[in-house]
Amino acid sequence: MTLLDPGMDLTLRPMRYPDFYDRFRAAIRNTWTVEEVDLHSDLADLARLTPEELHLVNRLVAFFATGDTIVANNLVLNLYAHLNAPEARLYLSRQLFEEAVHVQFYLTLLDTYLPDHDERVRAFAAVENIPSIRDKAEFCFRWIDSLGELRQLRTRADRRAFLLNLICFAACIEGLFFYGAFAYVYWLRSRGLLSGLASGTNWVFRDESMHMEFAFSVVDTVRAEEPELFDEELAGQVTAMLEEAVAAELAFAHDLCGDGLPGMSAEDMHTYLRYVADQRLARLGMPPRYGAENPFAFMELQDVQELSNFFERRVSAYQVAVEGTVSLDEAF
Amino acid sequence: MTQELVAPTTPLPIAAEVERACAGLPDADPRRVGAAADLAEAARQAASLVVTDPVYSTVAARLLARSIAEETGPVTFAESVAAAYAEGLLNERTAAFVAGSAAGLNALVDHDADDRFTYFGLRTVYDRYLLRHPETRRVLERPQHFLLRVACGLADSVSEAAELYGLMSRLAYLPSSPTLFNSGAARPQLSSCFLLDSPRDELEAIYERYGQVARLSKYAGGIGISWSRVRSRGSLIRGTNGLANGIVPWLRTLDASVAAVNQGGRRKGAACVYLEPWHADVEEFLELRDNTGEDARRTHNLNLANWVPDEFMRRVEADEVWSLFDPKEVPELVDLWGEEFDVAYRAAEAEGRFVRQLPARRLYGAMMRTLAQTGNGWMTFKDAANRACNQTAEPGNVVHLSNLCTEILEVTSDGETAVCNLGSINLAAHVTGDGVDWAALRTTARTAVRFLDRTIDRGFYPTPEAAEANRRWRPVGLGVMGLADVFFRLRLPFDSPEALALSTRIAEEIALAAYGESATLAAAYGPHPSYDRTRAARGVLHPDHWPDAAPVHPEEWDALRDWIGQVGLRNSLLVAIAPTATIASIAGCFECIEPQVSNVFKRETLSGEFLQINTYLVADLKERGLWTPRVRDAIKRADGSVQGVEELPDDLRALYRTAWELPQKALIDLAAARTPYIDQSQSLNLFMASPTIGKLSSMYAYAWRSGLKTTYYLRSRPATRIAQTTVTSDTEAVFCSLENPETCEACQ
Repeated sequence: MTLLDPGMDLTLRPMRYPDFYDRFRAAIRNTWTVEEVDLHSDLADLARLTPEELHLVNRLVAFFATGDTIVANNLVLNLYAHLNAPEARLYLSRQLFEEAVHVQFYLTLLDTYLPDHDERVRAFAAVENIPSIRDKAEFCFRWIDSLGELRQLRTRADRRAFLLNLICFAACIEGLFFYGAFAYVYWLRSRGLLSGLASGTNWVFRDESMHMEFAFSVVDTVRAEEPELFDEELAGQVTAMLEEAVAAELAFAHDLCGDGLPGMSAEDMHTYLRYVADQRLARLGMPPRYGAENPFAFMELQDVQELSNFFERRVSAYQVAVEGTVSLDEAF
Repeated sequence: MTQELVAPTTPLPIAAEVERACAGLPDADPRRVGAAADLAEAARQAASLVVTDPVYSTVAARLLARSIAEETGPVTFAESVAAAYAEGLLNERTAAFVAGSAAGLNALVDHDADDRFTYFGLRTVYDRYLLRHPETRRVLERPQHFLLRVACGLADSVSEAAELYGLMSRLAYLPSSPTLFNSGAARPQLSSCFLLDSPRDELEAIYERYGQVARLSKYAGGIGISWSRVRSRGSLIRGTNGLANGIVPWLRTLDASVAAVNQGGRRKGAACVYLEPWHADVEEFLELRDNTGEDARRTHNLNLANWVPDEFMRRVEADEVWSLFDPKEVPELVDLWGEEFDVAYRAAEAEGRFVRQLPARRLYGAMMRTLAQTGNGWMTFKDAANRACNQTAEPGNVVHLSNLCTEILEVTSDGETAVCNLGSINLAAHVTGDGVDWAALRTTARTAVRFLDRTIDRGFYPTPEAAEANRRWRPVGLGVMGLADVFFRLRLPFDSPEALALSTRIAEEIALAAYGESATLAAAYGPHPSYDRTRAARGVLHPDHWPDAAPVHPEEWDALRDWIGQVGLRNSLLVAIAPTATIASIAGCFECIEPQVSNVFKRETLSGEFLQINTYLVADLKERGLWTPRVRDAIKRADGSVQGVEELPDDLRALYRTAWELPQKALIDLAAARTPYIDQSQSLNLFMASPTIGKLSSMYAYAWRSGLKTTYYLRSRPATRIAQTTVTSDTEAVFCSLENPETCEACQ
């Protein structure tokens, strides 16, 4: 039996994919709650933003308002339905919880940043009214619907359609749309702005990274089980899909940045997105499409471990769920 | 030194400024610093190149220094002080002193000393320490003006100011942040930490404590407060015939109060609550920082510490039962330590006065769980803290808690709030070619003690309880930073016997100089008022409690003891090793006594995120032609570890191990060996990437057996991590990483 074979496998012993189970457990150890994030300190920063910066932040908040809900929908409608291993579904259940926490985080963010009730309503309506956000949402919806009413992945074509959906949400949505949005947050952070948003984003970013890694690990598994699904045509489709995502995210960047802000422009963001897209292709074992270099030095910072000054901010590095019992002679 | 008469040269075009900032730095290429609209942006651009070469930190710092000079305009030191005084930012004494010696003080200013700053250090100074105009928010002083102003706030003469300024501008010594913030200020609150005794077990006393905490917090002091006297949940309230809700609701109020008080707009208030583990609410206390469970029983801002008596640890070792008491029923335990505590505890237990009992190991396991999950719930040891404390010679004088950073140990009582003024010697600035310059180290320590003592009299105290205690005991805490720099410079692995010997000798030399200077001050001004109540007055100095310590200078200690017998001491306590998070950034060295956490790490502070690279490692890699993009990526991918860089010789790989890769036993052994010379305590962080209850319980039991007085955070790593965005993904190659210990042999 392979991972994409239809059915409702219930067997955990012997376990076919212990890697998925390990990811599930690691995710639990990284539980965080919205109450731990201090967004209030951002209010003083908001008051001193320029109109251009404020526009960017408002658009960003509007995107975040609905982004994770869309991902959660695809998870339930497509991924959970077709990944037929209980350990994989354990991970997906956990991911669904994390998406819910993200939704709560961004709702709290919106309620904190936008004191006006009507503005809050407008932020949620952005997915219909603001073209740069609507286009990204439509891209997502199209891929959610791409499997149609498919209840079981019987044919090679079904499975390839599923793979494209999985890759789309990992590489284009979590791995590109969200990564683009995070870059704006860290750009603001590098200028000493909105550290509350950045500290929450650290946690969201960590979760999203794991979601993406899980999806890619599913791809690796399917590739090992059914190598014939992977051919030039699939690579071409993935590249085309990424090109479309880069274009949508670039339009969003033009909307956010206008004529450019200090240290941030649509042009730089375009380079960054192409760089990220190449990274996704490389992870999928596909040739790079753009050959772009990372233009954002502040993103380098996200790759190295943090050493927080404990007086000043809560570190995001602690784990929950520790194991073992008291003993006095273990090596340490 | 350059006389400060010339106006700054007319600003050059930015590109020319960048050229200039790269001058004399062969590895810095001005063309790599992109176009910028102004100097500040050019500085940021240069700083973003630090990951490719740490030399750009110097380039960025030079650009930032130019940018600051542009912001202040041409101004001399005396003019900057006069302007700040006119805006009400400085006190009259300092302003008058500077005005009266303007020429002499102006001549001291050495702007070239700015070149010693790293970008992060100067950025920190600029963002947070330089005085700003209240309305325009433009800085009123340049970095060297700031350091000289701090010196003038404490000096009585130009030569005194020159002495302290000289140490600071060489980054050889820095006072703690409150002194840097407030020296010479209109309200000169110069103390770092305050220790409040537990409120008495009554409503009015509890609310009085909230008020005291708020007033102390407002002036940027870190708070330690005990809660061990307050009755536990279910205890009878006679006045109303109701039952008490225990300590958690009170601590929630404290939590909210601490968060509400913003320290002078500079950083959030911070406090640590201490509780003795016999308190019947201890298990709920340990859950206060959990991020699961009922939020109404959580405190997200408070730090937590366990104030652990030896009796508890002995019962853990013997796997015996432990009794929990309501302090309302058994009030005597709080004020006892050592054998008297043991006797009273066992008597109360035998009389059945406990609320309930549980296996000691179950509670100990819960403490370890809290440490692993939150880093909080610090293990501090009540009996070790009291046994050798100079202030506890007489019964009734008891150390009830430590402070926010677990390095201060001073007696408290209901009417006495302990205070400590801190400063730290940058050890990195005292290394010569092949060793530590002991004479220079002692000179620095003596100057430091003289000015720390001065802060006691110049400081403003937010509460009478603090003023009173500090006047009586006059404690100071001289510490160190940059120990890891010393080891890197001298090529001593952290866990080598040579490192242990050197670190211990550093502590001894500093203690000798500090005690000597305090005796000199006592000879001139008299001993501190409560000197007669100290162990020193009884002929016992702190190291005497460790007969096996084997000091390097036994005859000097004997002579010093005799002299102190004649003149006394001006300060009841002298040495404490604080965490130095911020001032080590300013000085550009590793923090206090800590090993490096990573060869490449990100520092998050209120002013943004900054990348730091181990410059010693980079120099070694460059020498071998290994500072290449491939090696850089490999180090980043391995989270700052070099164990996978095979081209690097074994001895260097051993030298550049990170805190996660060092045996923690070595950290504890180093701390234990210097304990005889640390009359207060040390902020000792411990590191464990993937903690388990078993490993933690063994480690903390070892720390207790080694005689440590306190420990600080347990640092662990996230269970999952952010996908790296800026290193090329290379999933095939297995790199040494603590995330996949099974595949890595180098770190085992």
